[in-house]
Amino acid sequence: MLRRIAHHLFWTARHLERAEWRARLVDVHYHLLVESPPRATEPWTPLLAITGEADAFAERYIAADERSVLDFFTFDEANPSSIRSCIYAARENARALRHRISSELWLELNTLHLDAHGWSPAMLEQDGVFGFFADLRDRFYRIAGIVDGTLPRDLGYEFLTIGELLERNENVARLLDVKYHYLLPRPEDVGGPIDLLQWAAVLRSASALEAYRRAYGNAIAVDRVVELLLFDPTFPRSARFCVDQLGAALRRIAAWNAAGPVSRAPATDPLTAMLTIPAGSDVIRHGLHDFLLAVQDECARIETAVFDDYLRFE
Amino acid sequence: MGPWAIPRSSNDQVMLDSAAYETNGYYDEMFAPGLVPRPGCTRVIADLVNLPGARLTELRTRADRMFLRMGVTFNVYGGEAGAERVFPFDPIPRVIDAETWVHIEAGLVQRIRALNAFLTDVYGAGEILRDGIVPRDLIAGSPQFRHAAVGLRPPGGVFITVAGIDLVRGGDGRFYVLEDNVRTPSGVSYVIENRVVMTRLVPDLIRGCAVRSVENYPADLLASLREIAPGNTSRPRIALLTPGPHNSAFFEHVFLSQQMGVELVEGQDLVCVDHALYMRTVHGLERIDVLYRRIDDDFLDPVVFRPDSLLGVAGLMAAVRAGSVAIANMVGTGIADDKAVFAYTPAIIRYYLGEEPILPIVETHLLRDPDVRRMVLRDLDRYVVKPTGASGGYGVVIGPKATYRELAETREHIERDPRAFIAQPVVSLSVHPTLVGGGTHGAPAFAPRHVDLRPFVLFGATPRVLPGGLTRVALREGSLIVNSSQGGGSKDTWVLA
Repeated sequence: MLRRIAHHLFWTARHLERAEWRARLVDVHYHLLVESPPRATEPWTPLLAITGEADAFAERYIAADERSVLDFFTFDEANPSSIRSCIYAARENARALRHRISSELWLELNTLHLDAHGWSPAMLEQDGVFGFFADLRDRFYRIAGIVDGTLPRDLGYEFLTIGELLERNENVARLLDVKYHYLLPRPEDVGGPIDLLQWAAVLRSASALEAYRRAYGNAIAVDRVVELLLFDPTFPRSARFCVDQLGAALRRIAAWNAAGPVSRAPATDPLTAMLTIPAGSDVIRHGLHDFLLAVQDECARIETAVFDDYLRFE
Repeated sequence: MGPWAIPRSSNDQVMLDSAAYETNGYYDEMFAPGLVPRPGCTRVIADLVNLPGARLTELRTRADRMFLRMGVTFNVYGGEAGAERVFPFDPIPRVIDAETWVHIEAGLVQRIRALNAFLTDVYGAGEILRDGIVPRDLIAGSPQFRHAAVGLRPPGGVFITVAGIDLVRGGDGRFYVLEDNVRTPSGVSYVIENRVVMTRLVPDLIRGCAVRSVENYPADLLASLREIAPGNTSRPRIALLTPGPHNSAFFEHVFLSQQMGVELVEGQDLVCVDHALYMRTVHGLERIDVLYRRIDDDFLDPVVFRPDSLLGVAGLMAAVRAGSVAIANMVGTGIADDKAVFAYTPAIIRYYLGEEPILPIVETHLLRDPDVRRMVLRDLDRYVVKPTGASGGYGVVIGPKATYRELAETREHIERDPRAFIAQPVVSLSVHPTLVGGGTHGAPAFAPRHVDLRPFVLFGATPRVLPGGLTRVALREGSLIVNSSQGGGSKDTWVLA
């Protein structure tokens, strides 16, 4: 498999995951605002913190009002991480893959791209924020279904998987970090109704609220949320689950190498070790922020290793 | 009968409106004068031409839908991002009887043999120049001459692996060579896909007529590419080099690489190390023995050709020279389809093969000769003027259709640089019944439209000719231009067994 092709596969999946994640974040945050008592002057700023884009936003917008933030997040072509930009980028990468991906997948991506081309902020008023983002999330589910149902599980599939999982892992780590250390600056609010609402929103962003309730019941406890989103080996959006899949993909890629086995351990081993031992409460006691930083560092390290080993052209 | 089968018409009488079908003295591919069916055409006329108009339009609509679904499209330069169009398709096939094809095939094989011998000579000993058969300055002064190819001796003397040789049929019913395309000829994917569609539309008719299959082309191409591999490889690794998804022929590159099961590469995938060509795979560098390139010479190797090219790979020519990789077609083949050299191709055939040319060429005048130039300039509106170095119809001026101003400009260009142009008499291209929209009350009707034929010839250890080729049809009334960018379409071409 050509490095260029693997590279395009990686970025197609990564951009799609990023776009989907943003659609989820906006949707959930909107829910949260509707449910919360009105208090903050700029209720949309946390969203910018979660994606680490407060500075990029401030450079081009005056106020973090709903309209501006949604525009920046969704439609802004000057923002390389806006949902629209991510869809464009995914489609542009897929264009070079037309001969390797199923025609169904190409058709779906191309249609989404054409639709995104026609989006305008007025649609949010027309369809409502809920309607727009719920529809959008369904589109991503459809793509996931087409990927699952039409692509052979060959070497190329592994690179799609890796792009998706690396993006997902980083997003989960950042989401937890921001919620824990930023969203609730006043200690007296911890455990209060707003706090719990926010944790429920965190779970919902990762489609994890129902899984949480099934595992731990109705009461939302921080250490258990952390347990589920970081350490649960069965939940498909937990960091542990993602790193397990990543490791498996990397081992399969190495096994595809006809030129001889690569005996080196997969780059995911340190992260797997980090996410296997502790329990949620231990991690919180020892400092969740440091732990999450370490997780993000490890993700970056894995990405570098994947690039050096398989994707870099030169 | 399958779902697409068409019931045979009860009477065999031609339902063309004989009063409206006027060929204006052009040679008609399907009907002899008096609307008498030509050899091999009777069944097609009875089963297809004879159908009610509504059925025919339905066939064409169904064909268009299939092409769109199959993604058989070409990119339009300068159009909307992602603008892809279906090549217009006419459902009435062009039939070539077995006897005629034997003649054409022999002529094509003769031609590719002679052109390969010519290239080996011109970039080697130069005997044909020494013997004064082809003027030396014509070669040395041509922008298509590649110094990088001088002294190259590709295995088996194969410079041209793939040729598309454009034929036209004149008013006398004979096939003439209009031009050779021996750089990176395209269009073969349409030949194959046209047949796929026709097979679905009229399976019984194709079987009943014993039409020769075209589906073996990718296998033949692969075999030819294997045969030109450098000597020391038992299982040569082959790749197809494309300029990328924005190229107008990208669909064909995808199609051929898929059909042959070879990697489709771009310049950025390639690297030359120690005079050998490699592609960058996720598991390291992988050797390439034969590169079927679909980019022009100029872009192949920035070290030797255009330094700004990002499409090729630095060091490729050194690897070719070292004999570690073969490229198809070889660099420098453009000198063999230079329009001025074309005038000498009958002499080239006689010189190398000691045979008379089987296929005559369209009369070609070199404007470098002052007497010839005077003759042509006197009646410029009766000639087609072509720049010698270009291909793909660029810069062609058709005298009878040109405006006064265009003719004046052309005259000026010729006088400024007479070597850069040739002139040919306007060929009375043959016509073929073609489904058009403009009958009485807008109903579909048949009208004669001009056609040409681009057969594809392969050459490795042995010549291989695709039966038939791409029949292009000028869909606009009276138009002689069959190029897809200018309202041209295509037909399936049926060579009968």
